[in-house]
Amino acid sequence: MRHLARRLGWSVFVVWAVVSITFAVNDLLPGDPARMMAGAQASPADVARIRSRMGLDEPLAARYGRFWKKLVHLGPSVIDRKTSPAHATCAVVVPLGGSSIHLDFGKSFQRQQAVVDLVGDRLPRTAALALAGMLVQLLVGLGTGILAAARRGSWLDRALVGTSLLGISAPTFLIALCLQFVFARRLGWLPLDGFGSTLADHARCIVLPAFTLGVYGAAYYTRLVRDEMLVLLKQDWVRTARAKGASTARLLLAHGLRNALVPIVTAIGLDVGALLGGAVVTETVFRWPGLGDLSVHAMLDRDGPVILACVVVTSVGIVLANVVVDALYTRLDPRVRSS
Amino acid sequence: MRSIRTRAEPLPAWAWALLATVACSQSVPAPMPAAAADAPPRRGGELHLASFADIRNGLDPVVSPDGLSAGPMHLIFAGLVDYDAEERIVPDLAERWEVADAGRTYRFFLRRGVTMQDGAELTADDVKRSAERALHPTTPDANASTFDDLVGFAAYAAGKADHLEGVVAEDRYVVAFHLAKPDATFPYLMTLPTLRPTCRTAGDRYSDTWLPCGAGPFLLRPGDWKRGVTLRLVRHDAYFRAGLPYLDAVEWSYNMTQLAQRVRFERGELDIVRDLTFADASRFVADPRWSSLGVVEADVRVYGEAMNTRVRPFDDVEIRRAVAAAIDRTQYVLMQPMTTTAMDQALPGVVAGVDASFPHQRYDLAAALEHMRKAGYPYDPATGEGGWPEPIEYLAYDPGLPALTSQILQQDLARIGLRLHIKLVSFAAFLAIQQREGGATMSQGNWTLDYPDPSNVFDTLFASSAIDPSGSLNTAFYSNPALDALLARARVEIDPAARMEMYRQADAIVCDDAPWAFTFGYHAFDLRQPYVRGFVPNAMRPLDATRVWIARPAPGARAPEGAP
Repeated sequence: MRHLARRLGWSVFVVWAVVSITFAVNDLLPGDPARMMAGAQASPADVARIRSRMGLDEPLAARYGRFWKKLVHLGPSVIDRKTSPAHATCAVVVPLGGSSIHLDFGKSFQRQQAVVDLVGDRLPRTAALALAGMLVQLLVGLGTGILAAARRGSWLDRALVGTSLLGISAPTFLIALCLQFVFARRLGWLPLDGFGSTLADHARCIVLPAFTLGVYGAAYYTRLVRDEMLVLLKQDWVRTARAKGASTARLLLAHGLRNALVPIVTAIGLDVGALLGGAVVTETVFRWPGLGDLSVHAMLDRDGPVILACVVVTSVGIVLANVVVDALYTRLDPRVRSS
Repeated sequence: MRSIRTRAEPLPAWAWALLATVACSQSVPAPMPAAAADAPPRRGGELHLASFADIRNGLDPVVSPDGLSAGPMHLIFAGLVDYDAEERIVPDLAERWEVADAGRTYRFFLRRGVTMQDGAELTADDVKRSAERALHPTTPDANASTFDDLVGFAAYAAGKADHLEGVVAEDRYVVAFHLAKPDATFPYLMTLPTLRPTCRTAGDRYSDTWLPCGAGPFLLRPGDWKRGVTLRLVRHDAYFRAGLPYLDAVEWSYNMTQLAQRVRFERGELDIVRDLTFADASRFVADPRWSSLGVVEADVRVYGEAMNTRVRPFDDVEIRRAVAAAIDRTQYVLMQPMTTTAMDQALPGVVAGVDASFPHQRYDLAAALEHMRKAGYPYDPATGEGGWPEPIEYLAYDPGLPALTSQILQQDLARIGLRLHIKLVSFAAFLAIQQREGGATMSQGNWTLDYPDPSNVFDTLFASSAIDPSGSLNTAFYSNPALDALLARARVEIDPAARMEMYRQADAIVCDDAPWAFTFGYHAFDLRQPYVRGFVPNAMRPLDATRVWIARPAPGARAPEGAP
């Protein structure tokens, strides 16, 4: 328990540090968010007025303090944005009877929208894509890795290892374009891009981006699982289990895979964080309106509130994923628990 | 008066050769079937468009329109005046206007019975309320200062007055705009989205949550704008021009890659495509079935190389003249021949009255070398000796056209002894550096005309008043009292012919002083399916769907393949 509390404490520190560094860097970089909002052709007088409206004429320390003060605060349980301008950019995250905990990232400079709404729209889409991509890489990677290990030295093993090398080497955009060309343009089985408007549409639209996202991970997991399994299957206890009559399937799945899971879980922990940050190329090519697309545009437009919101969400996702991975270690390997 | 309006010129022979080469490498499918060419306009159908980018700011007319929001904004919000197919100003919501008080008052007489999209009738009070909403100090309006000649603007913008004195609803259908001094460009300013009448649902003050609502031919329903994905406008049935629009709806898809746009266009899922790659556009245009379906607008953006006249070596006019003469503009146009036109003067083709015969900044290598000699830095191309001794930093942004054209410039200037060190930065950083005094020695300049009047180029880019130490639109920091005086006189000159003559003189001054070396103009190139009818290119009203109709063949009818 104390270990978990310490990990959570460090996680809070990491998020604070990452967001603070982002805040400072975003301010130090050349480029004026007010100019970007007003447009390249706006007059200096209009830019100055918009800068003042955005609060950018205040000192950095004042804006930094206000950001943290507003980020998580107590407020009314029900928010009426039209009558309550102080909470016009808030979202209720934890109801507490008469009041509630609010989350407030401010208003997007470019889009003039509450950033919590933007992130609230985009995060589930990115999470769905990340989950689908993770499923692809797990199912394909584990399956082919086990198969390659079971048929070590065979043509199948060589084919799978060779293919995985291609999967690791090929750039994401190339995989995306190939999948689009074959499955959307030539065969017409799946949509070329987009997000869809119904659940069935979403399901069809997510297939190609999920495979694009999953190819690299699947290829990596194939090699990882194969190598781990090959090492494990040479162990004495495996020979003993075989001598006791355990079937090959039981050896591979119950003994080999269980022990190979520790490095795989580590990789998954890192991948989840990266995927939550937004698969920029995949989202762009497939027009999947997620966090990656949002954060790239925010960076180009110097839209500070959106950049900070994306960084908060991503960093929280990464540290939480790592806390979960740590917890899983102790379940998978009793030696970790005892140490 | 003889019209000397210039459209984008036909492609030269080398460009056709290039097109043919590219075109042979891959075929394009046949156009979608269409009804006979003489089929009359008919109601119904939808127009599907796409873009690789997304609307940045919003659809409220008071926020700065970007390249993508301008089209939908024009369809939702009608103005008192608008552009016709030749980009001339014509009455729209106003049936006419008059100029009084020697150019200090513009009085608009509204059409009666114009129904807004909320069902209310448009009145002069709506025009005044919309103007006050747009110019209120709490509104994030990036164009507010454009209207600073209105009487009472300063007090209103400073929050010292409750109402804008210069806008007066004289009766239910008459509204007057009073200016502190005559301004010949005021009708042009009224074509901007900023002061277009909004529905009463907009209220008196700007709000982020307002659903855009105006008096235009199409309206936005709640939930029909999925930001970053699609925007759908449906027909405003009570639009004041009887029978228009023909279409049931117009739908834009955003953030769509160029490849996806091409595939969808080939399938007929997109009806007009603007974002084809050069290679794809070339293939279509080279195919006789498609060649008549390309639509070219007038040049609406001017590009040039801005030289900071306060920084060495460009504080020397001879060096600037050398640069202007050393640039081979035909090389620039090679980068994107479908959308660019070589330009050697300040005014792009959309401006009526451009004098193409005037000797502007022409490519002449010998003259460029002579200018270098006069500047005291002679250069011998044979030996490579001489020229400016230090490398010159050239600022451009990436991604974008300047990242490509900067390399052409580098090669051109090397021939006269000017060595460029290219510095590529993000667009945000580019603006921050370029617009700061002393920030950039030389940089890529471009300007998209807000309205097709020479003042929009000269007053903004080359007048001394446009210099600002931290956010200068005059990126050459160029100052010429003679030019300033000329521009001030032209601004208040009401007689069009006399005014245009002044701008010709201004053009001559700027071309000779060369704060910019003008390079090319930019225009949109659209490709339409043959069943899209009534689509007229208009640089000031991009992708205008007001008079577009869909002419698909009747069921069972034999399709005239490839017939436009």
